[in-house]
Amino acid sequence: MASEAVGAIKMFQKLHKNAGLVFPTLATILALSMAGFLDPYLAFVATSWVIFGLLGLSLDVIWGRGGLLSLAQTAFYGLGGYFGAVIAINLAPSTGMTLIWALPSAAIFGAIIAAALGYVIFFSRMGALQSTILSYTFTLLLWTVTQTFRLDVGTAVIGGDNGLSNIPGVILGFGPDADRLGPNGAFAATVAVSACVYFFTRWLMRSNFGKLVDCIRIDIEKTELLGYDIRKVQVLNFAYSGAIAGIAGAMFALWANYLNPSIFSVQEALLVPIYVLVGGLGTLSGAFLGALAIGGLSFWLGGGAAGGQTTLILGAVLVLLVLFLQNGFLGALDKIWRLYLPDPNDAARNAGAVKIDTDVLEDILKDATAHAGPAKSLSTDEAFKQFGGVIPVNKVTRDFVPGQPYALIGPNGAGKSSFLKTCVGIYRPEGGSILLDDDDITKAPIFDRVHKGMGVKNQKPQVFGEITVQENLWIAAYARTKNSANADKVSQRILGMLGMDGQSAVQASALSHGQQQWLDIGMVLCLAPRVVLLDEPAAGMTNEETRELSLLVRTLAKHTTVVVVEHDMEFVRTLEGHVTVLHQGQLFAEGDIDTLRANDAVLDVYLGRGEHV
Amino acid sequence: MQLDYLATVLLSSLSSASILLIATLGLAVVYGLMGVINLAHGEFLMVGAYSALTATQIGLPYPLAIPFAVAMTMLIGAIVELLIIQRLYGRIFDTMLATWGLGMVFNQGAVLLFGTVSPGIGMPQWNFSIGAYSLAVYPIAMIFVAIVMLTFIYVLMTKTVYGMKARASIQEPQMAQAIGIDSTRVNTMTFAIGCGLAGFAGAILLPIIPATPSMGLFFAVKGFLAVVVAGPVALTGTAATALGLGGGASITASYMSSVFGDVFFFLATALLLWLYPMGISSRWRRKL
Amino acid sequence: MFKVTGATGGYGKTTIIRDVSINVEAGEIVALLGRNGVGKSTFMRFATGLIKAEAGTVEIGGEIAPPAPAKRARLGLGYVPQGRFVFPRMTVTENIAVAAAANGFDPKATVAEMLEDFPLLQPKAGDLAGGLSGGQQQVLALARALAIRPKILLLDEPTEGVQPSIIDEMAGVLKRINQDHKIAILVAEQNLDFCLSIAERAYVMEKGAIRMETDRDSLRADKALQQELLGV
Repeated sequence: MASEAVGAIKMFQKLHKNAGLVFPTLATILALSMAGFLDPYLAFVATSWVIFGLLGLSLDVIWGRGGLLSLAQTAFYGLGGYFGAVIAINLAPSTGMTLIWALPSAAIFGAIIAAALGYVIFFSRMGALQSTILSYTFTLLLWTVTQTFRLDVGTAVIGGDNGLSNIPGVILGFGPDADRLGPNGAFAATVAVSACVYFFTRWLMRSNFGKLVDCIRIDIEKTELLGYDIRKVQVLNFAYSGAIAGIAGAMFALWANYLNPSIFSVQEALLVPIYVLVGGLGTLSGAFLGALAIGGLSFWLGGGAAGGQTTLILGAVLVLLVLFLQNGFLGALDKIWRLYLPDPNDAARNAGAVKIDTDVLEDILKDATAHAGPAKSLSTDEAFKQFGGVIPVNKVTRDFVPGQPYALIGPNGAGKSSFLKTCVGIYRPEGGSILLDDDDITKAPIFDRVHKGMGVKNQKPQVFGEITVQENLWIAAYARTKNSANADKVSQRILGMLGMDGQSAVQASALSHGQQQWLDIGMVLCLAPRVVLLDEPAAGMTNEETRELSLLVRTLAKHTTVVVVEHDMEFVRTLEGHVTVLHQGQLFAEGDIDTLRANDAVLDVYLGRGEHV
Repeated sequence: MQLDYLATVLLSSLSSASILLIATLGLAVVYGLMGVINLAHGEFLMVGAYSALTATQIGLPYPLAIPFAVAMTMLIGAIVELLIIQRLYGRIFDTMLATWGLGMVFNQGAVLLFGTVSPGIGMPQWNFSIGAYSLAVYPIAMIFVAIVMLTFIYVLMTKTVYGMKARASIQEPQMAQAIGIDSTRVNTMTFAIGCGLAGFAGAILLPIIPATPSMGLFFAVKGFLAVVVAGPVALTGTAATALGLGGGASITASYMSSVFGDVFFFLATALLLWLYPMGISSRWRRKL
Repeated sequence: MFKVTGATGGYGKTTIIRDVSINVEAGEIVALLGRNGVGKSTFMRFATGLIKAEAGTVEIGGEIAPPAPAKRARLGLGYVPQGRFVFPRMTVTENIAVAAAANGFDPKATVAEMLEDFPLLQPKAGDLAGGLSGGQQQVLALARALAIRPKILLLDEPTEGVQPSIIDEMAGVLKRINQDHKIAILVAEQNLDFCLSIAERAYVMEKGAIRMETDRDSLRADKALQQELLGV
């Protein structure tokens, strides 16, 4: 009886996990089996809903997963449509088969255009709003230009605002006299194409590439701190979304047999986000659901396309969705479903204490040295950083070499964190230089510094909250190993060392503050860094945890260069390393902790005393 | 090239840039002082135009129809802020989507109420001539209207207590509250003023741009780009971008074609965004 | 006069301070000591109403304070936050004027009074606050808080990132406003010397709670306590 219940829950859990596979498969089968006896007019109209769903999917890839609200999807869609149509018009009369020509060429064209736009957006590291606006401007530009753009390509006549007509329909047979499919056949073909694209996209978004895309959305800075060239991933993802939009555009051209510049219009561009929002942002399949719901609504209200009363309802629906149902239909359903599933985050509450086993750690570090080379030194020469009237880093010159830990101390506002951020590349210095061994990295982007061996933990714990503990470590390990099996091995070892085996399936956001600190440190270790920079790692840790951390830092320092910014003087004392005091952005004093404790000048700046009390 | 032709082109380009600026200032206030992109701005402009039109139809003289339009749009703006915008502060993309949905509702509502075509009101038939060319006075007068509007907003936002409170609320929202500013009310007021400015634009431009349900779209799109390109120093920045982009587009249009004018506008926008990702005024040391 | 009872709160789901109670009498200067991360700033934000209270009440001048920060300001709660947070694109004059106006005081008169009290700001009166140095911004933030004519002034790490000459000046100013206007002051600090020079009494925080209450003399005398407290 009880085991039956457990079995049922397991089934239920499995179904939930694979919902994105099971339900779309069922929907595809249902649609295909219905295609034969659907009313031809309904089949004709429903084809457009599926195409809009595909267009919505392209937006969900870049918005729901990638984090950029792109208003250029209709641009890729329209360009793909035009390009695919021109090819289909020229080739169909002799060869038949329109899909095999139109779809790939439209996909490639869409991808190239998206990559070009993405290059501008992501390589200049544009802000979110500016990126959205630029994508919108791009669509508007096309809208304007295509009004008067006239060109004859072979037998295809692009006639400005007269449009491009005589586009052949969906033809599956080969040869000059192959027949064009009727509405029902075209519907089935469109469903089949969309299903293929959907399942491929789902696979891609669950692959290593997709995991990276998710991480960038969740915390772009942390992803870069793991050494990933985020700009490339973002451009690739955008290009992929452009390819999907291109395919959708080509299907649309074959369906409508006619294209005109209104495909680039403002109304079209802004309609796509609605499909995605109604279905559920980031769910991939939601876009189809949204397009179906809105298309069905228009059909039922008697417009066919979105127009008339539909606009009124659509507008109201959009406002209500944004206000009350942020995650759309599928998001709401998922929330309800989860209520009936055991909470995987329960395990977070049973976490044991972290126990650093120096033998295991030494092993990991030796391994790291074998793979990543010997430790490197870090030096700054007259590093200078200024914000308005405040100078947090004022011509600091200092070498950090392997062998013993370095601690940076100083009163609040002395510029410790700013100094660290300047070394990491989060702040660009206005003067001076930063060297990793003999490599000048003053102007290198963050990921490049990480590549060269820098490992960084910022003051606040930075973990990817939406994914599991194990996945967090894995993505860090993969950044270095570039090999799934090796990344599995490395992350498993670090997981064990952190004592988090029981929490591997817990979402990182469910961990306590202290546990998140450890996870973050674990991610840095996965990188096998040659220089380690830690900003207040002991903040939020218990006394026992702080002791373990001290052990970890000391062991680490035997194999790499370690710099720690810390307030906790007791902790600094246990490190038994070199201590540097910063004051008002400048080097103030140096030595071991006992010397500095005996130094009244240091006590004065630290306690802010004018004279010794 | 004749001097009189050049003067005519310059004057009419300045006039069309001013018209764009008039239509955009409300958007600049809402974005610059609240961080909200109001995609329904064009529809507020349309509401202003229809309000003024309706007022003249029931017998109100045109100069009185303008304040009526402003009052109407401010009232609607305040209601919208209380019901929708207030819940979405800090979520810029959500406000964009919600205001766009709102715009769709307004647009369709206007179609239902007024139909798609409506009688315009005649433009005063005053003309003047430069050399061989004759120009209508009213569009040229918009240059002065734009200057007056700009001055009015600048004074309102920098010299009055309300203006100081509004700026404090956007710059450091928590500190503004901590020194006793009721930011909620200030924000409602600011949004209403932004909408009122759109209403004013719709009404004052009525003789040039007849009221139709989709009349706002054209201005909203360009205005929206001008405001984002302008960046944090919203008022001066928007004046600069509206003048530069709108004027440039208009000059391009008069020498080539209107399509090239638009192409110039959009290309210049893209280029400026690329060069100044945070807006052209991100490093300016100015108040507004 | 200013009394916080059982303050419990934090950010999101994380509770940072638990059951903190503090009392400042009229005209008194009290210090809140403790090393980084013990919850001093969180307590200050709790008192101003900028973070939501999980439990606890705040009393200003004998009245239970409503939750809205703006209403607390009008009851006479002045706040100088850590990191200053002046309004960067407003002039020095406007920063002070807006605070006065928001509480129904004459902006012009208040600005004149503040510029007289803080001569340092006089040459900068027309400059944007964002362009001032750290120390100048700190003084401006103080002037802005005083412009609401508070009964109690909360200062969060006022010496952070400020050069020593201005710190000395500030100590003098605080003593003066305390005596001249009978404004009570609660100052959260790591700078011990600064605290000892102005405060008669101190609370010591540790791990989100009050660990002890002490006075100036015992704190001054007890070097072991000093070291332990600040982790030096």
